[in-house]
Amino acid sequence: MTKTKSTYALTRRRFLGSAAALGGLAATGWTGQAFAQEPEKPAEIIVRAWGGSWVASLQAGVSDPFTAATGIAVRHDLTEDNEIQPKVWAAVAQGRIPPIHINWDTTTNATKSALRGVTEDLSDLANLANTTELAKPVGLEGYPIVNTYGYVYVLAYRPSAFPEGAPTSLQVLLDPKFKGRIALYNDGIGFHFPAQVAGGGKLEDIPDNMDAAWSFIEKVKEQQPLLGEDPDFTNWFQNGEIDLAVTISTNAREAMKNGIELAWTVPEEGSKFETDGLWIPKGLPENELYWAKQYINFAISKDAQQVWLDGLGLPGVVPGLTPPEGLAGDPSYPTEPADFERLIRVPTAIQVEHESEWFGKFKAIMQG
Amino acid sequence: MRSYRTAYPFRWRVMDTLEMLARVLWPNRFSGAVPYLMLAPAVLLVLLLVIGMAQIADSSLHVLDRSTFLPSADFTLANYQTALRQPLYWMIIWRSLLGAAVVTLLSLIFAFPYAYLMVRTPSALLRKFLLIALFLPFFIGQVVRAYGWLIILGNQGVMNEMLGWVGIEPQRLLFNYPAVLFGLVQYMLPFAVLMLAPAITAIPEEIESAASSLGANWWRTFTHVILPMSKPGLVGAGLVVLTLSLTDFAMPAVLGGGSQDFIANAIYDQFFRTSDQGMGAALTLFLVGIGSLVVGVIFTVFGAGTLAMGRGKK
Repeated sequence: MTKTKSTYALTRRRFLGSAAALGGLAATGWTGQAFAQEPEKPAEIIVRAWGGSWVASLQAGVSDPFTAATGIAVRHDLTEDNEIQPKVWAAVAQGRIPPIHINWDTTTNATKSALRGVTEDLSDLANLANTTELAKPVGLEGYPIVNTYGYVYVLAYRPSAFPEGAPTSLQVLLDPKFKGRIALYNDGIGFHFPAQVAGGGKLEDIPDNMDAAWSFIEKVKEQQPLLGEDPDFTNWFQNGEIDLAVTISTNAREAMKNGIELAWTVPEEGSKFETDGLWIPKGLPENELYWAKQYINFAISKDAQQVWLDGLGLPGVVPGLTPPEGLAGDPSYPTEPADFERLIRVPTAIQVEHESEWFGKFKAIMQG
Repeated sequence: MRSYRTAYPFRWRVMDTLEMLARVLWPNRFSGAVPYLMLAPAVLLVLLLVIGMAQIADSSLHVLDRSTFLPSADFTLANYQTALRQPLYWMIIWRSLLGAAVVTLLSLIFAFPYAYLMVRTPSALLRKFLLIALFLPFFIGQVVRAYGWLIILGNQGVMNEMLGWVGIEPQRLLFNYPAVLFGLVQYMLPFAVLMLAPAITAIPEEIESAASSLGANWWRTFTHVILPMSKPGLVGAGLVVLTLSLTDFAMPAVLGGGSQDFIANAIYDQFFRTSDQGMGAALTLFLVGIGSLVVGVIFTVFGAGTLAMGRGKK
């Protein structure tokens, strides 16, 4: 029964998305007449994506409507972003056609590729004119990446484990009753900066002095946290393995959709705010590059963002999007300047330069 | 009278033609080179491996320039120095070596009776059952098996449910070192049995009967006859299990809960998580070096066992 309902919902959503896409494409002057003058269409374009609800949302909001409008099939390559990166880098270095047309990537990871010079410039996308400043990658010339939405590493929790109300501070991670029942990303991503505050340090000291963060993480280590990736968090909540996790709100929301009792909060120490984006590797044939750009251009149109980010439950880069049901005013869905006051943003350039050092330090503590 | 066609069938003539062609292409005077020709594909594969290792060695001598995310042009040993200075890597190497040793020992202990029973049982039905049970896991990949254990040993898994029947609270059975070793032993067991079975088959049953008729009880026969004569199989199985365990990635990744990395996991992190191919390459060469050293020591002390095809040190 559930499956039937879900299939119906997706079909309906796809239909609405497709209809909206056709309208959106027409509004941007991308009409059937224009197609006749466009470069030759490839049979398909390949978009690297994250699995689960992430790819389902992309498909409903962007890929299916794009296919409906252009006739170009979109194949989603679910290779992990970290794993596709060296493949793309090697292809560009060897002058081969890269294995994907578009990489859906974290902005930090994508910035590494931009610094390496393997990304195409996307400054000429028409829909960039309608985006907020969040779409622009900071510290890079032009648009080697287009940021497509922001997200927050929230403190997700099982309400039944907190009968007196939502946890307010990250210090809850040190509560002995949650020993072995908390989870973090296996490289600590999303946790380093809030841990700096929780450990009594200052955000201004990042990256020069993060002793406070490491000291707090060492205490958390004593609580025997589980360490994993996005799908693990959903599974662990579903299987009753954990009560608390620092994870992207989308994963918590996915578990909720699966019937798991779950909620999230931004603790008083703050939560890390990040962006993801889309980019195109160098080395594609001209016509494929053109259509890959059209895909990204469509992905930052209001219609596509509305459906795509409804699925993810995340704020987009186009003004005027309607928040998904229940997320208006939610701390994981910042849209106004005041919403960002409790969120932690560290410049991408600093993250790119120091990320591996932070990952290494986190690993050293957790593997001990 | 039989016709010529019947006396000398068509397919014989085809074979004659093929033989003639073969003689033209590979004259008899080259027959001494046939073994080398048959060896060529294997040599080619090893050569490719050597070329790959040379490239990895080259990568390990360049540090990552984080302003461009390209390897620096200068040759340096900095990656090795960094790896040796970090206690994290020493700990992971120690954990991997200890894990491989424990898994090897347990796998041999569990595999031996299985292999012995499979070889010696007079029941064809039991032998078939043991063979099927042995090969079945090969059809299921390592990652799938690891996820199977997540289901069985999870907080809401079958094992905890059974503990609940006798009033025991759910226990954390996963995401620790013993869970990784347990998963590895389960994975390695069929390899060990497969390597042990030929060695046990090679022991004539009459020798066991002779020991028994000379008054040796079961234990003395086992320790003085079967075990020593199974040594080539034990060494061969031990080598295979040890090297596979030492280099394993999936079990520590899935059953370790992110905090029980082996060397392969650390290499993965460098290549894919931090984009530092130089450091990843340096760790790879450490792993190859450690593995080779351990195998070399075993070869020296115990010989190559069944891997030496009967020509090893006795």
